[in-house]
Amino acid sequence: MSTTLDGWFAREILVHEQALERYLRRRWPHPEEVHDLRQDTYVRVYEAAGKALPSAPKSFLFATARNLMTDRLRRAKVVPIFTVGEIDDLNVLVEDVSPEREFSGRQALARLAESFDRLPDRCREAVWLRRVEGLAQKAVAEQMGVSEKTVEKHLAKGMRLMAAWYYGGEVAEPASPAHAADDDEDERARQQAD
Amino acid sequence: MNAQGSRQIERDAAAWLARRAGDAWTDRDEAAFDAWISASTAHRVAYVRLEAAWTECGRLKALGAGARPGRVPPRVPRTNEPVVEQAPRYAAPRRFRAGWTVAALAVLTLGLTLGWGWRTYFAGEHSTFATAAGEMRTFTLADGTAVTLSSGSVIDVRLTHRERRVDVRRGEAYFSVAHDRRRPFTAAVGARRAVAVGTQFAIRALPDEMRIVVTEGTVRLELQSANPGMPAPSTLLTAGAVATARGNSVLVRPGTVADAERLLSWRSGYLSFHDTPLAAAAAEFNLYGARPLVMGDAAVGQIPIGGNFRWSNSEAFVRLLEDGFGIRVERRADSIVLHSR
Repeated sequence: MSTTLDGWFAREILVHEQALERYLRRRWPHPEEVHDLRQDTYVRVYEAAGKALPSAPKSFLFATARNLMTDRLRRAKVVPIFTVGEIDDLNVLVEDVSPEREFSGRQALARLAESFDRLPDRCREAVWLRRVEGLAQKAVAEQMGVSEKTVEKHLAKGMRLMAAWYYGGEVAEPASPAHAADDDEDERARQQAD
Repeated sequence: MNAQGSRQIERDAAAWLARRAGDAWTDRDEAAFDAWISASTAHRVAYVRLEAAWTECGRLKALGAGARPGRVPPRVPRTNEPVVEQAPRYAAPRRFRAGWTVAALAVLTLGLTLGWGWRTYFAGEHSTFATAAGEMRTFTLADGTAVTLSSGSVIDVRLTHRERRVDVRRGEAYFSVAHDRRRPFTAAVGARRAVAVGTQFAIRALPDEMRIVVTEGTVRLELQSANPGMPAPSTLLTAGAVATARGNSVLVRPGTVADAERLLSWRSGYLSFHDTPLAAAAAEFNLYGARPLVMGDAAVGQIPIGGNFRWSNSEAFVRLLEDGFGIRVERRADSIVLHSR
């Protein structure tokens, strides 16, 4: 059942992630909560769409985000005064949000390639060999000189970063090549200990 | 709302995705995964999002065209940060690579000698932008016009209250011109000028050729007048048109916007060919690469080529020719010579 819904979600909702994050960031006083707000917005949209697909997905997405913020403000014990002042603001039309980016054709491919290029070296290597070339996990591990577990770690991290950059765009988690290197070093240390 | 926090859920989802992609996935894993993803919509949504990214990644195959299997393609050199140039008055070239310093100094000197006298007349900005070979830059001028500068290019930009003028000294630049009725936007190569109002086009300066590609709106191409007293002849170029000027002749080829866009695929890091003779394809690569591709004989230059290639990776292109077309490749220190067998 969920594959059509999942496809719809990727096509109609995820493509607005950059606009959504920008919207939340502008309206919500706590930037560190934006990730969580975005996720909760997605949950509400997905659950509603499971019952009936909204006919105007983008408006529905932003209306959901707005309602979510209002609900959270109501529940909050202390309401920051500047936020209250902006509640009317929350009724902005979707059009005030920057135009979404193209998610088809060459532009999208270019952004995909750019996101890919921003991955730390080892992540990039793992994603390329495993996902793009379709090498067996074992073969990837051998070529990279690490365990299959580490390949998995690189893939997992790679996908989180790819999604953040490709869908989210500007608000990227910092790529930390140093951390990627750490994964491998941990592994070497473990192997030596064995 | 979430006991776990959205970031943790995302990490879990990523771990599941990576494990599921692995070779050691068992029925028990599948059951555990089902239990996890069914436990909450937050789990499902996080997973669906990462899986969508995973699916999209399959399209990266296009980057590997002609690359050797098992080798990760090199990164496309690009400056990530959008550079907004609030250019200072009079030539003050920034971010120059070593090679451009001489040119920069020349411009600076010229700017200083000629510049001070004009200062009272023109409250304008004058700046020079350059890219090294293999580098590409996108930035926004003070008037809002977006510029993408191709590899090995140099442009001079002059913005005054009356006009906006860009001289393309070498290479190619693509402009998405900010609308400003009062200040026409002119891009020139030597005496040939392309005048635009709110439009998108590219202009390229080669030693013996100028090319204009229009992807949106209309550009007026003004040519040098043969007689100094006469008005300069001009031609209107509409979207999709490609104008090529060599010597005294100009060839204007109307076409579709899609075809025109293909000529500008370098903006996304690619060169795109469609039944292009190898000699012409190689000439494109030579604008970007360090070691030029040379035709060893006439026949090899006629071979039609199609496909998308990273312009930063002419080596992959050459290997593809070698493997796929049976072309004999002779690698010299300063060039790569292609022979039909």
